[in-house]
Amino acid sequence: MDHDSLLQALRKAVQELMPQVDGVIALRRVGQGVAAHLYQAGDDLSDLTLEPSFPLPTSVRLIQARYPDKTFGVVVRGCDERQLIELAKRRQINLDRLRLIGVACSAQDAEFCQCDLPFPQQLSIGEQVEGVPQDFLDEFLAKPRQERLEFWKHAFSKCLKCYGCRNICPECFCKECVLEESLWVKSGTVPPPFPMFHLIRAMHTVGKCISCGECERTCPADIPLTVLYKLLRRDVERTFGYHAGANPDEAPLMDSTIFLADMDLLRPS
Amino acid sequence: MEYRNVSSVCTYCGVGCGLFLEVLDGQVTGTYPDPSHPVSEGHLCVKGWNAAGFVHHADRLKTPLIRKGDALVEATWDDALDVTAKALTRIRDASGPDALGFLCSAKATNEANYLFQKLARAIIGTNNVDHCARL
Amino acid sequence: MSSPEPTERPVYQPKIIGFLCNWCSYAGADLAGTSRIQYSPNIRVVRVRCSGRVSIELVLKTFHEGADGILVLGCHIGDCHYIDGNHRTSKRIPMLRQLLDYAGIEPERLRLEWVSAAEGDRFARIVNEFTEEIRRLGPIKQVMVT
Repeated sequence: MDHDSLLQALRKAVQELMPQVDGVIALRRVGQGVAAHLYQAGDDLSDLTLEPSFPLPTSVRLIQARYPDKTFGVVVRGCDERQLIELAKRRQINLDRLRLIGVACSAQDAEFCQCDLPFPQQLSIGEQVEGVPQDFLDEFLAKPRQERLEFWKHAFSKCLKCYGCRNICPECFCKECVLEESLWVKSGTVPPPFPMFHLIRAMHTVGKCISCGECERTCPADIPLTVLYKLLRRDVERTFGYHAGANPDEAPLMDSTIFLADMDLLRPS
Repeated sequence: MEYRNVSSVCTYCGVGCGLFLEVLDGQVTGTYPDPSHPVSEGHLCVKGWNAAGFVHHADRLKTPLIRKGDALVEATWDDALDVTAKALTRIRDASGPDALGFLCSAKATNEANYLFQKLARAIIGTNNVDHCARL
Repeated sequence: MSSPEPTERPVYQPKIIGFLCNWCSYAGADLAGTSRIQYSPNIRVVRVRCSGRVSIELVLKTFHEGADGILVLGCHIGDCHYIDGNHRTSKRIPMLRQLLDYAGIEPERLRLEWVSAAEGDRFARIVNEFTEEIRRLGPIKQVMVT
């Protein structure tokens, strides 16, 4: 299905859903870019679009917090659906008041995001394409330990502490963020001293991150954050069998009483 | 009920990074970077991420203020400019032009900054011209 | 007059920080003490209410401040005074060890063990083993940027 046909089908689906909901949250062409928008009955949908950009679930959370009693349609890509499910587990959004229209991303978009799962479980529009192989993870692991350390020290030395990675992440919703505590991350110095900030952030993504890649794309210092976060996500999947965003009825991994029966599984080789 | 993102430019420095101002029911609630912007390419610095913070801030100035005794009193632009012009003249006449310093701004246009340094150099007569980044 | 003995190079003394939970492992350490069981003096014990209280920020900061090794000791699964505090620890510490490995820091510097109030000898054994392992790994300053 080419992109134009996909957009046509998508707009049609949104039009059909509109009478059943109070509005539909989707991506809209804004200038040369795209951003989330709340379409309501009677709105022109010709600028409703789909691109591999923008942390849509954050907008959903904001709108739902303001209007908890309304029901909204949401156009979700694979990443959006998984993030919404993880947010729902943490009571940040209410899935019962959302009607999801699942859309598959194109192979081109999957490549752009380096996405390994470019479609939602509830897929209505578009065809599933294969995820992008994540070979770079094993390439990184082939480096000896000292080289890995130098790699990260160098990468993190460029950090401006703009908090972009945290700000853009839909899973980061804490009102008081530990990264702003001078007890942990020394204030007034840039880059933040290794390993504070970056390793704290990496650990906080565990069990929540679905690798949308927005953090890395917004980093002004081109720090390859997804290498670290994807390595951790892979461990979470292999060791605990936990796939973030897969099952809304599954308790969040790190904050629950699922017990890892065999700790030896994680002894480093 | 209204939620939208408006394409805009950060006001904090001379780079002018593209961003979206997030608007919920008429209130600016935050910013997002704009990957399509040719200059910023989807990046923002810490100021850009917080660029919307002043819009609805309680402390935001709505009128010029003139200090009268210990208090800052609301005034008109005409009055504020009169007071400022008189004070600058008084200081220049009493202590010389170099008693005054002029700090221009990344938030202003090139044209405004040009006129500003003209004011400093040609009208007041000092070379004490610098920039807000030095504050 | 005989030539002086060659001066011995001082043995490197690692700094070990131990986070011990109040109800089980701290009591176990106490038992080691009252039983006069010898164990390496390199460990500095910090008593916490539960091993689940040991956050990742706390561990990373402790390394950042110069701890060469961190030992987190808690109750056995099922014995936690707060029911499931140690369940959190059981996932958090192994994941943090993985992260250390990816970041190029030896994951062996962080160790999690369950020690009950009755296991004084086990406490001593773990401390001795861990101290020697850290002695072998060397100071963390070789690894960390301060």
